[in-house]
Amino acid sequence: MKCDCSRREFLARGLYGIGLGAGLPTFLSRTTAALTAQALQGTSMERHPERILVVLELSGGNDGLNTVIPHADPAYYKARPKIGIPAKEVLKVTGTFGFHPSMVGFERLYKDGHMAVVHGCGYDHPSLSHFSSMSYWHTGVPNAGEPLGWLGRVADDHLDPRSRNLIVNVGTTQSLAVRSAKHSPLVFNDPATFRRDGTDAEKRVLAQMGAELSAPSASSSNATLDFLSATAKNAADSSDFVRQASSSYRTPIDYGIGGAFGGGLQRVAALIAAGMKTRLYYVSYPGNAFDTHVQQGDVHARLLMYTADAVRAFLDDVTRLGRGDDVAVMMFTEFGRRVEENGSLGTDHGTAGPMFLFGKHDRLRAGFYGRPPSLTDLDDGNLKMTTDFRSVYATAIKEWLGYDDVAAILKGRFDSLGAFA
Amino acid sequence: MRRLFLLLGFGAVSAAAVLAAAPSPASWVDDLSPITAADWNAERATHLLERAGFGGTPDEIARLAAMTPQQAVDSLVEYARVDDPAPPFVESGIWDRGMDPFPPSRADAVRQARERGEALGVTALPEGTQRRLQPVVDKFFYGLRANSIETQRLGVWWASRMLTTKRPLEEKLTLFWHGHFATGDAKVRDYRMMLRQNEMLRRNAEGPLRAQLTGILKDPAMLVYLDNGENVKAHPNENFGRELLELFTMGVGHYGERDVREAARAFTGWTNDVLEFRFDKDQHDFGSKTFLNRSGALDGTDIIDTILSQPATGEHVAGKIYRYFVRDDISPPIRTELGRGFRAGGYDVKPLLRRIFLSKDFYSAPSTATQIKSPVVLVISTYRKLGLRTLPTIPDFGRLTSALGQTLFDPPNVAGWAGGRTWITPATLMQRGNLFRDVLFADAKTFRAPDRLMPFTYARVGDNLARGMNVTEATKEGTGDAESNAQVDRDEDYNTRYASYRGYLVAFERTKPIPRHVLDVSLTAMVAAAHADTAEAAVDTLAKRFLSVPLPVKDRVAFVEFFRGKSLASEKDLRELLYLVLSTPEYQLS
Repeated sequence: MKCDCSRREFLARGLYGIGLGAGLPTFLSRTTAALTAQALQGTSMERHPERILVVLELSGGNDGLNTVIPHADPAYYKARPKIGIPAKEVLKVTGTFGFHPSMVGFERLYKDGHMAVVHGCGYDHPSLSHFSSMSYWHTGVPNAGEPLGWLGRVADDHLDPRSRNLIVNVGTTQSLAVRSAKHSPLVFNDPATFRRDGTDAEKRVLAQMGAELSAPSASSSNATLDFLSATAKNAADSSDFVRQASSSYRTPIDYGIGGAFGGGLQRVAALIAAGMKTRLYYVSYPGNAFDTHVQQGDVHARLLMYTADAVRAFLDDVTRLGRGDDVAVMMFTEFGRRVEENGSLGTDHGTAGPMFLFGKHDRLRAGFYGRPPSLTDLDDGNLKMTTDFRSVYATAIKEWLGYDDVAAILKGRFDSLGAFA
Repeated sequence: MRRLFLLLGFGAVSAAAVLAAAPSPASWVDDLSPITAADWNAERATHLLERAGFGGTPDEIARLAAMTPQQAVDSLVEYARVDDPAPPFVESGIWDRGMDPFPPSRADAVRQARERGEALGVTALPEGTQRRLQPVVDKFFYGLRANSIETQRLGVWWASRMLTTKRPLEEKLTLFWHGHFATGDAKVRDYRMMLRQNEMLRRNAEGPLRAQLTGILKDPAMLVYLDNGENVKAHPNENFGRELLELFTMGVGHYGERDVREAARAFTGWTNDVLEFRFDKDQHDFGSKTFLNRSGALDGTDIIDTILSQPATGEHVAGKIYRYFVRDDISPPIRTELGRGFRAGGYDVKPLLRRIFLSKDFYSAPSTATQIKSPVVLVISTYRKLGLRTLPTIPDFGRLTSALGQTLFDPPNVAGWAGGRTWITPATLMQRGNLFRDVLFADAKTFRAPDRLMPFTYARVGDNLARGMNVTEATKEGTGDAESNAQVDRDEDYNTRYASYRGYLVAFERTKPIPRHVLDVSLTAMVAAAHADTAEAAVDTLAKRFLSVPLPVKDRVAFVEFFRGKSLASEKDLRELLYLVLSTPEYQLS
């Protein structure tokens, strides 16, 4: 993309989400993004207007004990005689913990100081239902009927609702985690199809139709129609930018063959490269993939490999783009799995599990956080959680994004972990 | 001013119909008492056909409108009386005996072959031969690809049936049960099981819940999908018991974790011999269990009976049926009452449906034109409103709905499709319009059939081999450092990428291709039949036929303006206009 525009146009285009980065030298797109962020946040109290939080969801309940493996604990091997990962195969990073052998990418990130692991994350009175537990993680308010997502509430409290696309959710459906009272998250899966088809004349009529759908009219009594109209407007406003940013994006980084997950992260990189002013990104490993009740060995190894490949590649990619310092990644799953293996070489639904933070910069204090849960002092066969997952959310909100009203957002007091300097 | 209807230029018939329709009184909301013949009109008949079926042509609506409401509802609900010889699914015959039971993964097939010297009905090559397990891995990938094509064919077969059936409620209801007892071929990997399940769900669709529930709990596809084959005495697997309670019957909050575990024990040994249910008494736990305060040596049937004795079950299932056919938000008293009636009537689905479709609540304002069509309903109902008798397959039906988040025989997870607003994102909303442009201006020349499409990575293996490369060279790919790419390239006992290529090739040879048709319709005839002789009248005719709510005035003006200078005798011009109508936010509503 060639641009002869003035600096003022530059800034304005950045403001409206029409970024320039895709085909530009890195330093230029970086500048654009920073200027955009400053202009946007000129009146607010943003401490770190350039910072981006990427939240990754592993759906289905990732087996934490076979991900971050307590290779020195005999109780682990006792509970998992068949599916336990032999100590000699574990990618050991401490005397007591190590990663699943397929997570070469994570081992590298950890050793380079770009990864933090939080032990035993969960909540009181855990639900073993995928759907209930996932909704608790999405809202950040377990066992309550909270209608909004925790990222949605972060945006409601701190990001300007007049500015579009501050939340992007790559996926076929919108996650509850990004549901917001004031913002309309941009949700898309395949950017290539994010456009209106047709002749120029048809597209003109349809563009007009989208653009003119403003706030719901007072006379409308059909809330579903109002919702559709608002979504149509969002689509009309954003589709061109997203599509162009994605289609022009080229990267030498290998995201692996994991498909949707790596692809989703690459789309995030493309938007960052294009100077999109999004602050919160959400990408899910979809389809309940991590629900490994049966013969989990090969499947789980593959899932972890794809995950580690994609995350490592994404961090390399944003670093290549000159935005590595501005990006932190948080990864979670709705629950860990039962300590004891089941009779089908798999594991049933459990409770606590590790969470992960990543960042290719020295803001992140790499290492392990929290107390590892005991493998023998169990609650009906399940781990007792040692870190409330909202402490990790609090860490991202306060220490990374720089917002102090954590208690208001998370509807309760949660101490952050000190994982970001 | 969205609801303001510009009547100017309306054809006499349609204007009369719209004018006749006074809004339903506010008191109808949550009123389950039946409407009367005096309340019946074309607009309500349209609504009934939209929800209890897939909508219809003006003629079909007129026929319903001419009946009493009782007759109209019965004509849909009493579908067993309607003669409807649906063509059976014609199998390609991809399966041979050696493929049963199909190994759960490539790695398992390989392990089997290493241990026994054969797997999947093919023998490994002698020790010391290069890539000695290649025939087994080839066969494994053939099985996956061929099954995936058969499942695509199955989806097209079902979609055709939805389009052509004279019993639309039967298919709409079967689709409900498919979402309720969600089972996906991506995991089951056996279209034969999916077909049998589909037939079972259809057979029991209106019948007592007990038959449907027992059927699904003994259904091979479901047993595989929820891993119950692995639910054995020594190590109960809870997946099946948990989803039974949480999703299929009672809903969360009506049982505890102990009940989940006890239910799992009761279903131990419920497994399948490929296509048949089998009770494996050696793996069944005959011990004493306590489930929802009932104790004894309970087995699966006892669990089903106990579940059906709970008020929560009636309310959960009736509530879900209501939300599928009526609206997303159900008021607690309606839920309680429908659940009570459902349970009191022996969980018979037909009287529940009749009650819902006759109720004033069903025709109240919050229940009409407030539902977002699922992708399958969106496409099928459009075809029905066009009066089609043959399913267009260029573009491919499965691809159209998958792009919007719904694939028949492959729901996203055991909870089925979340539905409602979750269908809509900025991107899918645009796609929902685009897909009809692809249908209205189908391009048979550049169309590539997905049931004959080999991904580039594998197609290139074929090209490389044709150029004389050996298998190792032909399958080399990628210089990056992702671990996953490095692993695929390994070329020891077998080559995965080559096996994938072979798998596609043989699958293409052995499966029947999906017949390809483009849309066959005449909009010029449709518009002429409605006596529309101006741009305004053409816009109004199409809007009336396809939309459940009036077209907003400004859009009507823009569409009329768009059509100026175009011709009512031009099929192309009218199709462009219809594309605009089908791209509106209003068109998503049923």
